[in-house]
Order: sequence, then structure tokens, then C-alpha cells
Amino acid sequence: MASTLYMDRNSPIHRLNPVTKLVILVTLIVIVFAIPFWWVAMGVVVLVIVPAAVVSGCGGRLTRIALTILLPIVVVLFIVQGLTFPGGRTALWEWGPLALTTEGLLFALGIGSRIVCLVLASILFVLTTHPGDLLSALTERGMSPKFSYIISSTLQLIPAFQDRANGILLAQQARGLVVGKGLRGRISAMMPLLAPLVLGMFTDVEERATAMEARGFGSTAKRTALTPVPDTTAQRIVRWAMPVVALAAIILPLATGAL
Amino acid sequence: MITLTDVSYAYPDAEHFALEKVSLHVGRGEILGVVGASGAGKTTLAKIIAGFIPHVDGGELTGTVVVDGADVSELKLSDAVAKVGLVIQNPFNQISGAKYDVRNEIAFGLENLGVPREEMAERVAAAADLLGISHLLDTSPYDLSGGQQQLVAVASMVVLRTPVLVMDEPTSQLDPAGTRMVFDVLSALREAGSTIVVLEHKVELLREHCDRVAVIARETVAAVGEPREILADERMTEWGIGATRFTQAARAAAARGIVPDGAVPVSIDEAAVTFGEEVPA
Repeated sequence: MASTLYMDRNSPIHRLNPVTKLVILVTLIVIVFAIPFWWVAMGVVVLVIVPAAVVSGCGGRLTRIALTILLPIVVVLFIVQGLTFPGGRTALWEWGPLALTTEGLLFALGIGSRIVCLVLASILFVLTTHPGDLLSALTERGMSPKFSYIISSTLQLIPAFQDRANGILLAQQARGLVVGKGLRGRISAMMPLLAPLVLGMFTDVEERATAMEARGFGSTAKRTALTPVPDTTAQRIVRWAMPVVALAAIILPLATGAL
Repeated sequence: MITLTDVSYAYPDAEHFALEKVSLHVGRGEILGVVGASGAGKTTLAKIIAGFIPHVDGGELTGTVVVDGADVSELKLSDAVAKVGLVIQNPFNQISGAKYDVRNEIAFGLENLGVPREEMAERVAAAADLLGISHLLDTSPYDLSGGQQQLVAVASMVVLRTPVLVMDEPTSQLDPAGTRMVFDVLSALREAGSTIVVLEHKVELLREHCDRVAVIARETVAAVGEPREILADERMTEWGIGATRFTQAARAAAARGIVPDGAVPVSIDEAAVTFGEEVPA
């Protein structure tokens, strides 16, 4: 049973230090949100994220996960903004009181492209970064082990939650629960799962906290690592350069009056 | 090595004590088995000895809990865990979730304690060898069966080499071979000087491997004694544990007049003797 989204590959993206990947991720997010043009976000997707996904060998899984998450969001965003955008003037299609406007669609494109970029980059980071490496790398750089553990273990939360939900659903089905078809049927089936799912997660958290403490997690000793996380001078330079790039992305559009 | 004196404990907001007036002594290098019905308070006892009560669970603890010369309820938790290793019931929750293979998973506790890398590698290899899981060192902890995860959970505490080890049902998910291996490891650790408290439902194994057995019933220690003496006690059923299958078989046989009445075998060897006896005419 896999409990993380991490895909074990020996790609250059996987071999990057987790902190380097994290810094690049944050920088990309800053860039696409600081410069609110849809083509900037889509440029980052096409020129950075897609090639990185291909090189990492995680493109297929990234596509499947991204479609599951993004498709409903993007579709709803375009429908709602296209039909209800307050500044909509140029109607592309009208039906009674409803009007699909160019301005609404462009606004949705601006927001949607940034969401797509954010989600794709974040998922690629999770797919190519083992939580353990992230924990070690963050701790090596002086971050509180508890804080870095929260980050790294959170990366596992979704699949762990999914595994448990599947187990409870099976148990409920064994006792006669009928799962209906379609979205409505699935939502109805989820309701009996909520109480055991949430209560079970609370118990797990409590037990896990005990187990972590029993293994010296609260110790104030300086941590060591059995397997050191690799790092290079080039990556150190990139990590220093990225905040400068992010800062430039914030300041330059304002300074040049592009916004 | 472990001395509990008049210990009572109630969980936060609980109206009743989970354990009441418990006094117990475990000598250095001794294996104490603890038996009791589900909910009797075994896990609470384990957490008290390991210092997690009251440090983590809160609640009201009275009496003294002295381990290796120090009152664990007054120690910082990080100091208490250096004295007492605790293996919890559910191995899945003992897995840190932060390591990608069993080797690094076993090393997790050593990393937290700042043990040098070379020493870590040696101790991890030794613990894995002891538990028979050397072939799993490069496997993801999440790709293991429940039983294998349990062996990893035990190894991840054994590797810490604490003077006291408390194990809460360490064989609950193991097959007979894995169960025997864990108990053999306990015996080896005792030979090396460790003091062990093992909470277990498999009473027949306790008879074989423990120096003494304590019974938890009605929120207190109902009896402590030699394993044979405890397992043969008439109150086993009253305590919610039940007689061993050998004792039950002998009683059923005695009721049919097959073996002499009053025989209480608690092991296969004793049962063989009992069933080999002639019934008095």
C-alpha cells in the first residue's frame, strides 16, 4: 500500500536537493501571481513544468492527478466567470438573460492559468520529492524538526486518507451499503464514511505522536542523518538566485508601469 | 529496575481510575509478562512506565514510578524515552512516514538522538539481523505486510538500546514463526541485560519466555507470580483471560473421566504427561 504520492525514479529532477525544488516552486508561484497575465502562467507551464515532468518520468501520473483536480475547477471557473463577470461587455453567445462574454472568459483564463500552474508545479514537486528527503534537507538547514515533519507528513495525508476511506467503504458495503452511480450517488455514499474516517484519523494522529516521541522525536540533540541528502554548488547558487528572480517579478512590472 | 508504588491514574475528564493502587517491581534483566482482558488497563500501564502518562496523555497520576533510579513522571519526556523504549500496538502508526526504506526507518530514532552515522549503520544492521529483516532493508515500509511492519516497529525500538523495553502486544499481527522470533529476541535482549515488560494475549508464550507474569484486572494488579502459578490459577476466567487451551482440554477430559480430575497442565509438555496418566479406578 503506497502511502505517499512519491514516484521512485532516478531522474535529474528526483536527484535535485528537495530545498532547491521547494525554492523553485515558491519562485514560480510568486512569478505567476505577481505578473497577472495568462500567457506568463501558461509560459511557465509549457516551458518549465511540462519539460520537467517529461524528464522526471512522472508525466503520466501528473496528468491523471491534475485532470482529476483541475478539470472541474477550470470548467466551473469558465462557466461562472464567462456568464457572470460584472465587466462583461462583448457577448459571444446569448440565451435569454444569459450572456457569455469575452471579458469574462479572459478573466477566467487569467485566474485559471495561474491555478493550473500552481497545482501542476506543486504535484510535480510531491511526485519527485520523497517526504523523508524533504524532512532531512529542511532539518539540515536549521528548520525545527517538528515543523519540517509536519510539512513532509502532510504530503502523505491525501493517499493515507484515501486508503482509510476505501477500507471503511468496503466495510460499509459488506454490511449492505449500496453505492449509487454518478456524483450524487458517490456523495450519498460518502456520508456514512465521515464519522469513522475522521474519528479514525484522530486516533491515528494520537498514536503516531506517541510513537514519534518514543523514538526521540522531542529530543533536543543535534540531528544526524543515516543517508545524507545530496547537494551541489550549482544548486546553492540557484537557491540564492531564485529569491532575486521572485523579487524582480514583483518589482519590475510595477516599476515599468506594465500593470 | 522498575518500581511502581501505589500508582493510580485517571485519564482527563474520566470519572473513574484507569488504574488504581498499582504496586509492581521488575528487576534488572527480568522479563515481566502482563496479561489482562481488553480494556483492563494494560496499555495505560505501558504508557505510565514509559513516561507518556502524564507527559503526553495528561490526566491525574498519583504514586511514584521509578525506572532506573529516576521518577519518570518527573523526568522530561526526552529523558524518559532514553530509559524506556515503547513499542505501540499498531505497527502502521509506529512507522514514521518520513522514510523511504526500512534501513532509514529503523535509523529514524537514532537520527533524532544525534547518533553518528557510522554507529547508526552498525546498529541498524545489527537490529535488522536480530529481527530477521535484513532482506527488507531496501524496501519501502509501506510495501510491507502487517507482520513485517511489526518486526520493523520492534527493530526500530530495539536499535535504541534503552535499558528498559515495554512492548504492547508486539506480536498481534505476526504469524507463529514471527511471534516465536520476537520472543526469541526478547530472550536474547534479556541475556544482554535489558529489562522487558511485554503485554501479550498469547499466555502460553509468556509461560515459556517470562520470568514472572502480572495480571491486570479490575483496574489494578490482581496477581503477580511465576508464569506457571499464574496460568494455573483458578481465577484466570474470572480475570477475563481464560484458562490455557491445555488446561481447558484437561478439564474437558476429566469431566468425561479420561484423565484424573484436578490436573491443570499449562503447556504442551505438561498436557502430554496429564493425558498419559491412568485414571484411578
